[in-house]
Amino acid sequence: MIRFARIFFAKPATILVFAAFIAIVVTALAAPLLFARGPFTIVGMPLLPPGAPGLLAGSDVLGRDMAVALAYGARISLLVGVASTIGAVGIGVLLGAVAGYYGGLMDELLMRVTEFFQIIPSFVLLMVLVAFLQPSLGSTVIGIALISWPQVARVVRGEFLSLKGREFVQAARTLGMRDSRIILTQILPNALPLILVVGSMMVGSAILTESALSFLGLGDPNLLSWGSMIGGARSAMWVAWWTSVLPGLAIMATVLSLNFIGDRLNDTLNPRRQR
Amino acid sequence: MLVSIQGLTAALPPGADRPLAIDDVSLDIAANEIVCIVGESGSGKSMTAHAVMGLLPRGVAVTGGRILFDGADLLQDSPEAMRKRRGRDIAMIFQDPMTALNPVVAIGRQVTEQIRAHRAISEREARQQVVDLLSQVGLNDAVVLLSAYPHQLSGGQRQRVMIAMALSLSPRLLIADEPTTALDVTTQAQILKLIKKIQTERQMSVLFITHDFGVVADMADRVAVMRLGQVLENGVVAQILERPAHSYTRALIAAVPKGACAPLDSAEGGPLVEVRGLSKTFRRGGLFSSRGAVTVVDDVSLTLNRGETLGIVGESGSGKSTLARCVIRLLEPDSGAVLFDGADIAKMKSGQLRPLRRRIQMVFQDHHSSLNPRQRIGDIITAGPRAYGENKAAVLARAADILGLVGLNLESLDRFPHEFSGGQRQRIGLARALMLRPDVLIADEPVSALDVTVQAQVLKLLDDVRRKMNLAMLFITHDMRVAAEVCHRVMVMRNGKVLESGPTHTLFSAPASDYTKSLLAAIPGRGRL
Repeated sequence: MIRFARIFFAKPATILVFAAFIAIVVTALAAPLLFARGPFTIVGMPLLPPGAPGLLAGSDVLGRDMAVALAYGARISLLVGVASTIGAVGIGVLLGAVAGYYGGLMDELLMRVTEFFQIIPSFVLLMVLVAFLQPSLGSTVIGIALISWPQVARVVRGEFLSLKGREFVQAARTLGMRDSRIILTQILPNALPLILVVGSMMVGSAILTESALSFLGLGDPNLLSWGSMIGGARSAMWVAWWTSVLPGLAIMATVLSLNFIGDRLNDTLNPRRQR
Repeated sequence: MLVSIQGLTAALPPGADRPLAIDDVSLDIAANEIVCIVGESGSGKSMTAHAVMGLLPRGVAVTGGRILFDGADLLQDSPEAMRKRRGRDIAMIFQDPMTALNPVVAIGRQVTEQIRAHRAISEREARQQVVDLLSQVGLNDAVVLLSAYPHQLSGGQRQRVMIAMALSLSPRLLIADEPTTALDVTTQAQILKLIKKIQTERQMSVLFITHDFGVVADMADRVAVMRLGQVLENGVVAQILERPAHSYTRALIAAVPKGACAPLDSAEGGPLVEVRGLSKTFRRGGLFSSRGAVTVVDDVSLTLNRGETLGIVGESGSGKSTLARCVIRLLEPDSGAVLFDGADIAKMKSGQLRPLRRRIQMVFQDHHSSLNPRQRIGDIITAGPRAYGENKAAVLARAADILGLVGLNLESLDRFPHEFSGGQRQRIGLARALMLRPDVLIADEPVSALDVTVQAQVLKLLDDVRRKMNLAMLFITHDMRVAAEVCHRVMVMRNGKVLESGPTHTLFSAPASDYTKSLLAAIPGRGRL
């Protein structure tokens, strides 16, 4: 663990980025404590600039506090990012592991299904799915998970293909271990670092996808997210820049820090890239 | 003296297992002689060769001494001067000719480039020179080979191309770093003969790095024995082989397997495994394409008796490993029967097979990949019994016996595989197999990745274990010397077929097939050790 931390934080910028990310997460978690009145309460005149009395980040087109909205938006963005990634990793690991371990016909079949998902324009598929399921937090998460898993499945399959040829896996078979046990105790722990890296990158892209959905008005109408904030600010974009730029910066900071952390995890955990 | 290495010392980066890669090494290479540096892995023999070439790996720095080449100190040369020397004065060939050749450039261009980098001659002239060189190294269709790519050649052909490249500028010193270690034994014999012939014809000097005293006996005029970065002794080959001064040299020579396996004393244990007409064909291609089929094991039959070691000998591609994997059902045989204690396991369903699996166990070749890097030894060696529902504490209580048998202590249980040496890891792999108290042990090249002294220990251990546990052992190896050392009977395979089989002593003294004769003739250092 100490060794891990030493390599992970070897680049000084990592500490900065990591601290920024933690700050975003803490703000998101603490939002209901900090701003008990919620993001939809109107607090003053619309389109007040940042720095107006009592309004750190100004107010939006309806006169709601932007700072509160940003904090609550972080909750939705991070929740969707993490939940849909967990879903995508779950499906991807299951199918990738089965395809890679058993190979043959099973592999052919599962990979053709995976390719089917990969060749459909994923955002169009997502919009159809969400519209079909009614826009809500749950449908957004399910939709994003359903369009993201093929990437995980591909990576996990490749890793399983290479690991199953290793002699310790063959040894496990000669010992009489059952397939499920070999997959869970022998191969999966060795594939875990790679899955972790792919997952951390995926959280960032899921946040982006959610923002795009909300921008188009396909997010949960009862919840405020960074994407829906930008969507709602479309009409005021030229007179009140902060209504769209601030949530945009929040998305950028979160996704960038997640990608950076993913990169560092890759350098630290991925055995193929170890010095 | 063509080359005189004087007090050469090179430091390893901090944190390595010892401070010095090369420790005060002095060595002379006269014109027109072959000097062998022999040692085990980590002895600094390759480092010494790379230092002469001016190609030490990053982080290793020369801290003292001189390397005189024809009187000039190579260590004082500028990088540019040293670059010009490489290829022209000193050339090198490597262990693995596949990775030493560029896979996407045709052979002809790789060799002509080398010549034209040093000499201002036309493409046509260079090509003509290359054709001459390729025929000199025994490649007959030189003109055809010019447009071939490395993957289209065999290992031996690739190494010949490497030698042709090295010779292209008529260097005065050829450094050969384990040039035959990755090759089959018959190919090795040909390449060794080629190097010797070229050395004599061109009156070159050769610095030959090897771990194999058999190769030393065949090749060397003079020998230097290295260990832990130091030269322990240095002298004429006959003197080192017959009157080694240092105890380590004696141990190295003694560790070379000599092939002295006595026939089984209690001749009748009765057959335990009978393989009848087993075949295995690999089909390439996927659902929509088929790219032909290769029959790797072709109608093989064998009998393995209780308490007996049967050796399966063959070169790479002979099908010996595939055969072993079919017997233990890691692969599904296409046809034929594998009778284990009377029951045919070749087509058995996995549910039926499971109770029998524990009676046939396997030891693998690659000690790096045969143990799960993320599990502790305690988990690894108890995995077998736990797979049959025993709990870990009960199994661990029994583990002490087996650990003692393979020469490991109880503290090992809490450690991870990377904390052990290659020989120790091979012992752990053996312990894992023995925990199930098997009747049959399949050993697939169990010592080929080990240093020769460790190899001798592991071979002895396998034989002890076989005797104590009355195991029947199927021993797969490419090395005739190893087979002769541990096997009661030997079976020779080539291209998936059994050429001959018989008691070790008979087969070695009166081989029936020409192929077996050529295998025996190719053993390096035969009759001189």
